Amino acid sequence: MDRRNFIKYNIIVTLGGLANPIFAQGNKPITIAFFVKNVTNPFWKGCRIGAEKAAKELGVSLEVVAPTKPDNIEEQTRLVEDWIVKKPDAFVFVPVDFKALVPSIQKVNKAGIPVVGYNNRMTDVDFVSYIGSDDELIEYEASTFLFKSMGGKGKIVHIDGVPAASTAQARKKGLERALKDFPGIELLVSQPGQYRRLPAVQVFENLMQRYPEIDGVVSANDDMAVGIAEALISAGRANKTKVIGVDGIPDALAAISAGKMFATADFSGHDQAYLAVHAAVRNLRKLPVPKEIKLPIVIISKQNISSFPSTPEERSVPSWDKTIASQK
Amino acid sequence: MIIKTHKSENINSSELVAYLKKAPGALYLLAFMAIALTIWTPNFFSLNNLTNVALQVSVLSIVALGMTIVILTEGIELSLGPVLGLCGVSAGLLVLAGYPLLIAILVSMCIGALFGVLNGALIAIVGLPPFIVTLGSFGIAQSFAIVLTGGDSVVGLPEYFRWFNDGLFLSLPIPILTIITIFFITWILLYRTKFGRYIFAIGGNRLALKLAGANVNFYHIGAYIFAGLLTAIAAFIMTARNNSAHPTIGVGLEFDAIAAVILGGTSFEKGVGGIAGTIVGALAIGVLRNGLNLIGVGTEWQVAIIGVVILTAVGIDSLRKN
Amino acid sequence: MHSINKTHLLKYSKENFFILSRILSILILIIFLSIVSPQFLGWNNILNIFRQASIQFLISAGLTLVIITAGIDLAVGAILGLAACLSASLIVSGHLGLGIVAGLISGLFAGALNGLLVAFGRITPFIATYGVLWIAGGIGYVFMKGEVLHSFPPGFRFIGTGILFGIPVTILIAGIILVILHLLLHKTVFGRYIYAIGGNPIAARLSGISVKSKLFYVYTLSGLLSSFAALVIMARVNSVDSSIGEELLLPAIAAVCLGGASLFGGVGGIAGTAIGALILALVINGMNLLGVPSFWQSGVMGAIILGAVLADQYGSGRSLIKS
Repeated sequence: MDRRNFIKYNIIVTLGGLANPIFAQGNKPITIAFFVKNVTNPFWKGCRIGAEKAAKELGVSLEVVAPTKPDNIEEQTRLVEDWIVKKPDAFVFVPVDFKALVPSIQKVNKAGIPVVGYNNRMTDVDFVSYIGSDDELIEYEASTFLFKSMGGKGKIVHIDGVPAASTAQARKKGLERALKDFPGIELLVSQPGQYRRLPAVQVFENLMQRYPEIDGVVSANDDMAVGIAEALISAGRANKTKVIGVDGIPDALAAISAGKMFATADFSGHDQAYLAVHAAVRNLRKLPVPKEIKLPIVIISKQNISSFPSTPEERSVPSWDKTIASQK
Repeated sequence: MIIKTHKSENINSSELVAYLKKAPGALYLLAFMAIALTIWTPNFFSLNNLTNVALQVSVLSIVALGMTIVILTEGIELSLGPVLGLCGVSAGLLVLAGYPLLIAILVSMCIGALFGVLNGALIAIVGLPPFIVTLGSFGIAQSFAIVLTGGDSVVGLPEYFRWFNDGLFLSLPIPILTIITIFFITWILLYRTKFGRYIFAIGGNRLALKLAGANVNFYHIGAYIFAGLLTAIAAFIMTARNNSAHPTIGVGLEFDAIAAVILGGTSFEKGVGGIAGTIVGALAIGVLRNGLNLIGVGTEWQVAIIGVVILTAVGIDSLRKN
Repeated sequence: MHSINKTHLLKYSKENFFILSRILSILILIIFLSIVSPQFLGWNNILNIFRQASIQFLISAGLTLVIITAGIDLAVGAILGLAACLSASLIVSGHLGLGIVAGLISGLFAGALNGLLVAFGRITPFIATYGVLWIAGGIGYVFMKGEVLHSFPPGFRFIGTGILFGIPVTILIAGIILVILHLLLHKTVFGRYIYAIGGNPIAARLSGISVKSKLFYVYTLSGLLSSFAALVIMARVNSVDSSIGEELLLPAIAAVCLGGASLFGGVGGIAGTAIGALILALVINGMNLLGVPSFWQSGVMGAIILGAVLADQYGSGRSLIKS
């Protein structure tokens, strides 16, 4: 190569290297199959919005995949199989049951499609990366927060999700672990609220008759927690009982702002999904991606509610580099 | 009062044409969907995808075959979903505890049969309505399944368990082989044995049978036992698919099975219908769902479209009937 | 006409029998629970039970009429959900009246669709309403897109949480609907036709009843009542997402059947459904008060359902199956 071309060549390469490779456009748009557990729970809407923000930024195409029957294991198995046939460029995946979906993701691995996991861990599968926390830890943190604010002493009631659902099982284990740490806290009873507001409200109203003194309520999700908080207000017992939920849905945030509900644990689905899509695209573009990104569990209460946007649309996206840096 | 007798179905060409003429709307819908999907998406008509679909409907088909027998007796079986879960976790737990697979299979089938006896006895002997009886046993089976595992899945099953879904025999996947075998067994049972004649007659005119002194209850209960046994078999395939047994895995299965049966042309009234239709119904459901996924229809719209397609299929039937 | 009157009287007394036997079951339950749970007989607890039963009753009310005609409406929960989603979205954007009307109309239309399919399309009620279940559910999903709508105006919430003359409004509303439907079934020609159609549709048609239009009205009414129940539930829980109504179908059917209605038609009544709803509420209340572990709850409910129909059977001494 003669001198002039050599300089030209170097200039081009340098400029190309300087440009952020993540924004390079290929000929065919990258398609990401983005899985959520259902289309009814607003938590997954938050995830979807985070993922869509990432997709828009990166110029990739996002397909949201969910079972028609919420949280249905058999359906999600089928969805994974059908999507393997469609051969998207990557999967961003959360299992409705982290054990039952293992063979399906193994099939994805075998088909050579990279998978980024988020929100629920899976073992025995090949994830390019896992972003998130897990149900057991989040309930542990939430319960610990509640127990600490109760001074480590008092009586609590646990309102569970759907019996035998994997998230409910995991969250219950988190609660049990926290209870071990706080021997002064007494668990009065655990009754199922089916993860839905109406059954949870009715169950709790019944429990209020049995237990005139309840210092705290650990609710397996926010939908139930808000209902319980309102039931306490109607019964005039709101100032004696603290309710904590999980998820961080807009409803709960409004209740916390208004002082109706004590706190919730932000599962930060929005952030997880955003980062997961980034991870998937980075991996496709041959950029380094950490094996795991742990997002801190943030407990949202009256103290910090003002810094939380009330809807996922308003939420700002996390910075990839900052998040990676803070992983140490 | 006319005492209904069954028509035995012979397979020869003129009868085949006649059958096609009165084939359920689901068959035409299935054909239409298959053709449309082949044109519309490149992925549908591949061996890989078609095998997937067949495997995907395998559990539904087997359960729906059992459901067909029950519906032919003018009954209904709502507990098959939880029973599937219960059979699956029982088999899984037994295998994990070190019992041989054969024992697990036997126990699983006993459980399915037991619920069949319970439901059948309450319906046939005591005379309770099938809907409410099986609704009650639905709850009972569900609780047993969940309590057995403490709410968790049964995992860590030995590798050989996956044979029930992934294995091949005579180069056919096991689930497909199972459907074919069960289909033939059911066909023989329905059209070549006394049991079958009784099933049609119970659905057609139970009172007349009883008046004629026949031991109706035995066969009536038998229908429910048969459904339970088939469900137990399906549980193995389901467990293998997910490499784990879950107590609530069968949620919603019974309604899908009933839909498959009705789409296939068997009606609740007066014991009309057959098992070939049920397979068509199950396939139609499977192809529809597979097609919607391959096309990439959003989940929310999928739900509405499924409803429209179901109504179209039965609407065709209804228009032709009248 | 005469024969229908006589048959109707016979069914009326059969219905009375069921009510008596059900009241007996309730008394047994109440006695049992009072013994094992000291809080059971508390005034607040009794009020809770009736309030919960009222909501269950409202969900099952329209379904009762459909079941009396030997039909079934599997779309009850989905129609309820759809109505809730539509009206909630209008209410939170400030249109209270429009929201209520929209909710009721959507229920009316969904019910009418059921009616068209069953009565004029001559499609088996099971699969017809199953199809509508999916359609209504799908429209609800599309509409909501995973959103949750909450915080309704206090004036609206009154119908779910308010108290009037010392009685919770939900109980009053349920009571009014109970009386209206009871009068409809037993004091109007329409009601007699419903029973006749359920008892013997061929005879009904032959005696001049236009079966098709009556069936159409029944399913439409069922849809309307579902949407009405949706409004009460919305007012009660103050939030709506697209999953509302999903788990309501089977308990709704259980309440109707526990009340003595036969799925083969021609038997049962609205008072029976009220009692069935009360039984369900009692059982759940009992399980909560006794702290029955969550895993056992569906089994207990199933066993009680079986027990109730068994008691029915041996009490009445005759088969419920139309043999």
